Amino acid sequence: MNEEFSVVGKRIRQPDGPAKATGEAKFVGDLRMPGMLIAKVLRSPHPHARVVRVDSAKAMALPGVAAVITPDDLGDWNGFDRGMKDLPLVAGGYRIPPEEHVVNRTARHYGDAVAAVAAVNEHIAEEALSLLEVEYEVLPFVLNAEEALGSGAPQVSETAPGNIGKHLSYPYPEGDVDKALAEADLVVEGVFQTTKQDHCTQETAACLAYVDAAGRLNVWSQCQLPHLARRELANIFNLPVKKVKIMTPFVGGSFGQRGSVCAEPVAAALALKTNKPVRLVFSREDNFLGLESRTGFDKINVRMGFMKDGTLTAIKTYMLGHLGGYMGCGPMSSVIGMTLSMGHYRCPNRYGDSDMVMTNIPVSGAMRGFGNDAMMFCIEQLVDEASEKLGIDPITIRRKNTKEPGETAAMGLMLESSYLEECMLSGAEKFGWNELRSRPKKDEGRIKRGYGMATMSHCTGAAPLYLEHSNAMVKVNEDGSVDLTVYPAPVGTHIWGALSQICAEELGIRAEDVNIVTGDTDVTLFEYGSDASRSTYAIGGATLRAARQAKEQLLAHAAAMLEVPVEDLLARNGRVFLKSDPDKGLSVGEVCYDAIYSFGGEATNFSGKQSFEPTWNSPTFGAYFAEVEVDTETGRVRVPRFVTAIDCGKAINPMAVEGQLEGGLQQGLGYALTENFVVNETTGKVETANYDSYKVPGTLDMPHSEVIIVDRPDPKGPFGAKGVGEPGMVGIPPAIANAIYDAIGVRVRGLPMTPERILAALAEKGEAKGETQ
Amino acid sequence: MKTLAKFNVNGEPYELIIEPNLLLIEVLRDELGLTGTKHSCGVGNCGACTVLVDGEPVLACLSLAMAVRDKEVTTIEGLSDGPHLHPLQEAFIDRGAIQCGYCTPGMILTAKALLDRNPEPTERDVREALAGNICRCTGYVKIVEAVLAAAEAMQKGAAR
Repeated sequence: MNEEFSVVGKRIRQPDGPAKATGEAKFVGDLRMPGMLIAKVLRSPHPHARVVRVDSAKAMALPGVAAVITPDDLGDWNGFDRGMKDLPLVAGGYRIPPEEHVVNRTARHYGDAVAAVAAVNEHIAEEALSLLEVEYEVLPFVLNAEEALGSGAPQVSETAPGNIGKHLSYPYPEGDVDKALAEADLVVEGVFQTTKQDHCTQETAACLAYVDAAGRLNVWSQCQLPHLARRELANIFNLPVKKVKIMTPFVGGSFGQRGSVCAEPVAAALALKTNKPVRLVFSREDNFLGLESRTGFDKINVRMGFMKDGTLTAIKTYMLGHLGGYMGCGPMSSVIGMTLSMGHYRCPNRYGDSDMVMTNIPVSGAMRGFGNDAMMFCIEQLVDEASEKLGIDPITIRRKNTKEPGETAAMGLMLESSYLEECMLSGAEKFGWNELRSRPKKDEGRIKRGYGMATMSHCTGAAPLYLEHSNAMVKVNEDGSVDLTVYPAPVGTHIWGALSQICAEELGIRAEDVNIVTGDTDVTLFEYGSDASRSTYAIGGATLRAARQAKEQLLAHAAAMLEVPVEDLLARNGRVFLKSDPDKGLSVGEVCYDAIYSFGGEATNFSGKQSFEPTWNSPTFGAYFAEVEVDTETGRVRVPRFVTAIDCGKAINPMAVEGQLEGGLQQGLGYALTENFVVNETTGKVETANYDSYKVPGTLDMPHSEVIIVDRPDPKGPFGAKGVGEPGMVGIPPAIANAIYDAIGVRVRGLPMTPERILAALAEKGEAKGETQ
Repeated sequence: MKTLAKFNVNGEPYELIIEPNLLLIEVLRDELGLTGTKHSCGVGNCGACTVLVDGEPVLACLSLAMAVRDKEVTTIEGLSDGPHLHPLQEAFIDRGAIQCGYCTPGMILTAKALLDRNPEPTERDVREALAGNICRCTGYVKIVEAVLAAAEAMQKGAAR
């Protein structure tokens, strides 16, 4: 088996490693052009207000200020939906109204953009902002979803009567859920709540735009869906698509935040207005206020029915989410959450619906997990509760209900592969689950220790709900190297390496002989982009097919050169040779050279170009094991140890897979315990707009982490790969919650599980210190 | 009022006429084009802008440039010599410790300061030294491994 692949499955160095290790790698904020202006955005100090008037005279009089854009200066520029879902991307006619503008006449949340300036440097731009005189008509505001649904609540958007942005139901309901719940031996239920989480990409949002002499808008963007950004910007500024060019340098993280246009509309508008290059780099505060963060759910009601033997018979869910001032990517997080909540367990009766509600807080959107994180926090706690009430071990009850290949998977598609059971068993063994859980509970003083586990499945791409169209072009050079033209988001997922491995494996060359050509909409074919854990699967699928096409030409030419039948040939380790006589062959370079430098009228450059649009997706499965220490005096939770076992198909690069899971653990840990996006209930102001008030886990907060890759190929993924970007974080909060229950015997239903919540839960149980005299 | 100031960055002398309120990060990035030093939080909470001043880690987003005149400033660009990388840079690449790469310069320089004063750190030492540097991609696991691997490689190199 070890000899099956020569490149795939190897822990290769990333092609972009040296550039990033030496400081050579350029991010948007590192780019500069002669005459470049620096832009800044003025943000509303009110959660809901109409801009009556902006007096920009003083700002414009400041030497070095080139332009100011106010709501009066929008001209014929169109509104947009930042999540770009006003484009036909989602099956079923789902559309988001294009209600946002370059700057906004009505600020719909604290920090909404109401004006922008461009000046010769940062300091002057900053000063110009302070010289803008804005008259606001302050409007009544509403901050949480339940109040927004109440009669007489302030209206956030004209297109959302009653503040209901979208009412969305589970797309694949089955059976009669109410009847099944009535007939169940055991019903477990709970009301849960999750919070907004900021992506905290280490690079803030940025854009550099300029209009060239031919009138073309050139944009260096961080958008992870670059071809969609091109079309969105063309729409906003009434330009034909050919008049917009998107380029992507390195991007400092995404986790879903770059799935929308962020800094682009403002930078492009100022570039169009000034005819000069304009660079806009968000401050950290701009990022917290002006970008989408994870969609929070004020309420998630879940009821699950079980039979005595542990068989799951019904799941019924209702999600109440807050979208913020614009709909953005937020609404789909309930659909994805409801859909994936039905992903890993067999359940004949399923129903779910949701209200996604407009509120006057910063915009909600897609973040790693995209709603599955919220649903797993609920489902996996309730399964744990059922296991205790039925007297069945948590792993046994999950194994009993785990779907098998051939059954219907989350999105109404046939499940191609699943090794969830193997994840649970190998994870339990590594963690020492049986021994730890069966140990007698002894009093450990104020620090209580507990052990918990959770499972999940997550989609690989979002077919059939979202567009899944990817493309790849392969060009084989005369030395046997390859230029591979693709456009995944260079956000740090080791995707260039994975694609080079897939391409190299198919063509029988080395990964380091594959040069990635990317980052330019002029050069690349259409690419939907990188989200939904799809890049290795879908862009990798296109790459594999394009490489195969080029290989057919390579082998045919080699067969003619060697005067042997083509089916007798194999390409491997940089050579094309006879299967029966490996010594008889040619290097890949020799064959390509012969084809290119040919004078017989048949000169050719081996190449492949393939479009790939999977109409299926093959979910990834995972099992997560947490050890926690709960300080019953302070309420603080520490996680000293964590084990993740993952079935992501064949790991193209195990080191990169580990990296995704370890990084997901950091984000999941923060989401579970410390990352709290706080909006002041009185003023609507965001109180946590930088790292001093918003706690992202650091090195000392991180558990000792172990990752197990089950490494079983999926039948359809490229060389058997499935997605692994999002799964890393989805199972973390419920595993920690279940461990907390094991430690202190209370269920925490809200995220993040802060010391305040832990102490409140203990108090309710009557065990908090000071209440147990 | 602009002032003439002398700097020493990565072993090179510079004379610049600058506003005295410029931050070190502004001088490095905007005046000298050393964009390897990254801006992220702007308030000293994340370590992305870390550079070395006389060998000690300093947050360039909080330091006035004038305060480091006549001191030795090392940025990430000063660690490698063409294709010859510092053992920390090699280890970060080898171990998959770089994902998006935005925190990497600050991480590597903070780690260099640690290894310069403590060539044989424990895992705990590394975690403590890097406690002020936020990474959102890696979960720090491979970063800590890379620093320990670099320490070992440098010890072996020194023994040779």
